[in-house]
Amino acid sequence: MRRGTFWSWLWIALGVIYFFVPLVATFAFSLQAKLNVLSFKAYADVFSDPNFRINFLASVVWAVSTIVVGVVLFVPTAYWVRLRLPSVRSVVEYLTLLPFVVPAIVLVYGLVRTFSRPPLPIVNSPLLLIFGYTIMSMPYMYRAVDTGLRAIDALVLTEAAQSLGAGWLTIMLRVIFPNIRVAVLSGSFLTFAIVMGEYTLAQWLDKPAFGPYMALLGQTKAYEPSACAIISFALTWAAMGIMQFIGRGAPGGAQVAAGH
Amino acid sequence: MSAKKMVFVLMAMAMILAACAPAATAVAPMVETSAPMVETVVVPATAGPAPTANPMDTLAAACKAEGTITLIADPRDWADYGTIMDTFGSRYGVSINDLNPNGSSADELAAIKANEGNKGPQAPDVVDVGYSFGPQGVSGNLFAPYKVQTWDTIPLKDPNGYWTEEYAGVMTFEVNTKVVKDVPTSWADLLKPEYKGMVALAGDPKGSNQAIMAVWASALANGGSLDNAQPGLDFFAKLNKEGNFVPVIGHLAEVAQGATPILLRWDYNAVGDEVSAAGNPPITVVVPSDGTIEGPYVAALSAYGPHPNCGKLWLEFLFSDEGQMDYLRGFAHPARFADLVSRNLVTSDVLSMLPSASSYSVAVIPTLAQIAAQSTTITSGWDSAVGVTVH
Amino acid sequence: MPFFLFILFFLVYPSSTLVIGSFQDNAGHFTFANILGLSNPFILGAYEISLRISLYTAAGGAIFGFLLAYAAVRGGLPSFVRSSMMTFCGVASNFAGIPLAFAFIASVGRVGVVTELLNSIGINLYDMGFSLYSILGLSVVYMYFQFPLMVLIITPAIDGLRREWREAAENLGGSFFDYWRRVALPILTPSILGTAILLFGNAFGAYATAYALTGGVISLVTLRIGDQLSGDVGGMSAGAGYAMALGMLVIMTVCITGYTVLQRQSERWLK
Repeated sequence: MRRGTFWSWLWIALGVIYFFVPLVATFAFSLQAKLNVLSFKAYADVFSDPNFRINFLASVVWAVSTIVVGVVLFVPTAYWVRLRLPSVRSVVEYLTLLPFVVPAIVLVYGLVRTFSRPPLPIVNSPLLLIFGYTIMSMPYMYRAVDTGLRAIDALVLTEAAQSLGAGWLTIMLRVIFPNIRVAVLSGSFLTFAIVMGEYTLAQWLDKPAFGPYMALLGQTKAYEPSACAIISFALTWAAMGIMQFIGRGAPGGAQVAAGH
Repeated sequence: MSAKKMVFVLMAMAMILAACAPAATAVAPMVETSAPMVETVVVPATAGPAPTANPMDTLAAACKAEGTITLIADPRDWADYGTIMDTFGSRYGVSINDLNPNGSSADELAAIKANEGNKGPQAPDVVDVGYSFGPQGVSGNLFAPYKVQTWDTIPLKDPNGYWTEEYAGVMTFEVNTKVVKDVPTSWADLLKPEYKGMVALAGDPKGSNQAIMAVWASALANGGSLDNAQPGLDFFAKLNKEGNFVPVIGHLAEVAQGATPILLRWDYNAVGDEVSAAGNPPITVVVPSDGTIEGPYVAALSAYGPHPNCGKLWLEFLFSDEGQMDYLRGFAHPARFADLVSRNLVTSDVLSMLPSASSYSVAVIPTLAQIAAQSTTITSGWDSAVGVTVH
Repeated sequence: MPFFLFILFFLVYPSSTLVIGSFQDNAGHFTFANILGLSNPFILGAYEISLRISLYTAAGGAIFGFLLAYAAVRGGLPSFVRSSMMTFCGVASNFAGIPLAFAFIASVGRVGVVTELLNSIGINLYDMGFSLYSILGLSVVYMYFQFPLMVLIITPAIDGLRREWREAAENLGGSFFDYWRRVALPILTPSILGTAILLFGNAFGAYATAYALTGGVISLVTLRIGDQLSGDVGGMSAGAGYAMALGMLVIMTVCITGYTVLQRQSERWLK
């Protein structure tokens, strides 16, 4: 194991170098807003810009809404597929990976054309953006939930609960859901990151969001865009850290693989 | 098994529905201009008995009722659009919806097209596109004609009123003098080895008017002409081969960082960057001495815009004395420059930020036919000249 | 069932306009011209380059990502390494587009921090032929979201490697390498290959980063589709854009099918 630890540290070190060098370079550049002096002026400019707050919060709202919609939609579906409709499983898995295939610009083009006409003219409502994001995050969210369900052997749990007289809603809310909390959280991390950084959908659907805001900043300012990139990276990482901390209390999801 | 079948049936239904749908989008343009044909009310003030209602007031009221105007691809820092938008918004009491400020001229036309049936905020009311995109919009049936009140004093316009030149810029070099010690003064200079890895465009020549014009401008200095942009492609091919060309799309950030210290930009953008950077980094704007091109930008009214009255009012504002002076304060040359000068409205302090007037003498301005022809040459030839297509 | 309705409206339907559109010309009539037009050398070139980059980054991403994941999960390191790496990878897997491009320009661009540093000790990257604005450079940048994606997806599989198996192998007299060759790798290979295929698809579909870094000079399929959807470029049309997207869809479908098949195989062992 000694030899093993050396190699482990080596790979991690290489990884850290690769990932942090570009971040450090960006950070270093962002400190140059004042001539010949290192300062946080660029950061002050970003934080004092009211648009920063508006767009950042807007994206947070979209992200949380997308997570909620995703959970409500995918958890029951994954559960049902696993339990009741194993024959549909391959089709469903294909469908959930489809968003990988469709580039964002094609998706939004299609969404705009489809939903600017009756019967569902919702092109102006934020709902369309949220649903679009739900589709984009589907590969990650669905798979995370699916993995979680697989790990807890949902079938056995359901049967046990049913033999104790529990109805469907009770089973979902009090048996299944708490046990896959960690998996759901991990899917939520990825969804959050995706939505926060997303540009194409928000741009074309003309909704306030962080992605277009950052792009706009990059159009005319020299140092603020770098500051903004660092801020967004840090804030997103922090948000995930918080989510993970909250999730630590739950009985492990994917970790409960052993024991069968 | 039945669940599986149901899924397939649903999907088949979707495909069939979708097949029918696109036919529906080829709907004839909405006849939304139910407002009185204001474009015919270009009544000179001296004509007969004065009309009882000022047409501009009628238009302003109609626009206020619409409540908002949707613009597209107008960055606040581009030729001082920020001031223009703020003034318009507060004066007429409407809100400004500025779509996709980073968009290119091509994106603007695409947005009109994609939102033909959409009356929501994603559909632009007016566009500000590069000269060559004017005729493209006309042939694509994307514009509605409108002649503003100051129509007669504008030199460059579509005879039927489909598009009108608002302002023009001249292609210049935006140079970061902290990184570039020896400032280049001509296109020929750019090929020098000391500028290795320094020269960049501000857009993709396949869609950005600014980039297309930059390529064309280089043609003028290398044996090309307004009828032949091919030498420009050759020039960039050479620039790329020498290693002087950097394929990054340059913005102020890249200029400041040093990745693209020599950026090919319109003068108003370059001077705007110089002012915005305020010495950090120090920027100089140079008009290349061996030839450059003047690129007009034209405004057009969308045929499918949800707020046609605001669109028309916006155009009136742009072409009014005040609007044109705002462009000048944004370092661009307004279309009615000659007219404004002849009425002594242009003061020297406004002109002082721009490069010296004499350096502009090399600039030439192409005709429409030339633009159409050469744009195609450039957009279709770019990939084979400079692109990395196959190894 | 609401799931299927949702998918129907928001994914299948808009995507099918893509499929239908690829068979239409500018006037809306049915035509095969767009599909045949795919044999245009520029388009084929774009496919070739996209495929190459996707292959490099999928292979590189899979290998190094696996090493990273294994090191964090089973390498005997303190647990904070694992949790912070997972959250970091969550963020990094979506760090793309202009910010990522700029970060690399600022590090290894011509006047990047690292480039200058190496210059000062006599190593001149660009003179040695390296360029960030090449296919190799773009691949290096792509890794930034490929490594994390690999780490995130392969970790549950590594988790599933029972400690008991390792101990059993040792008890039976096998060495470190024997364990790997006979037990761990065969179990993990379907997962690794499957995820590599996913990485391939991910790279193939990337757009914003390539555009920001190389302004469209390197010809990729996604960039070309973007060109077409934005307007008439070089005499082609929106139909051509759709046809290219269709080609992409076909390639991706093959990827996904491959991934699913391999996942099934690995599931048998990890159950």
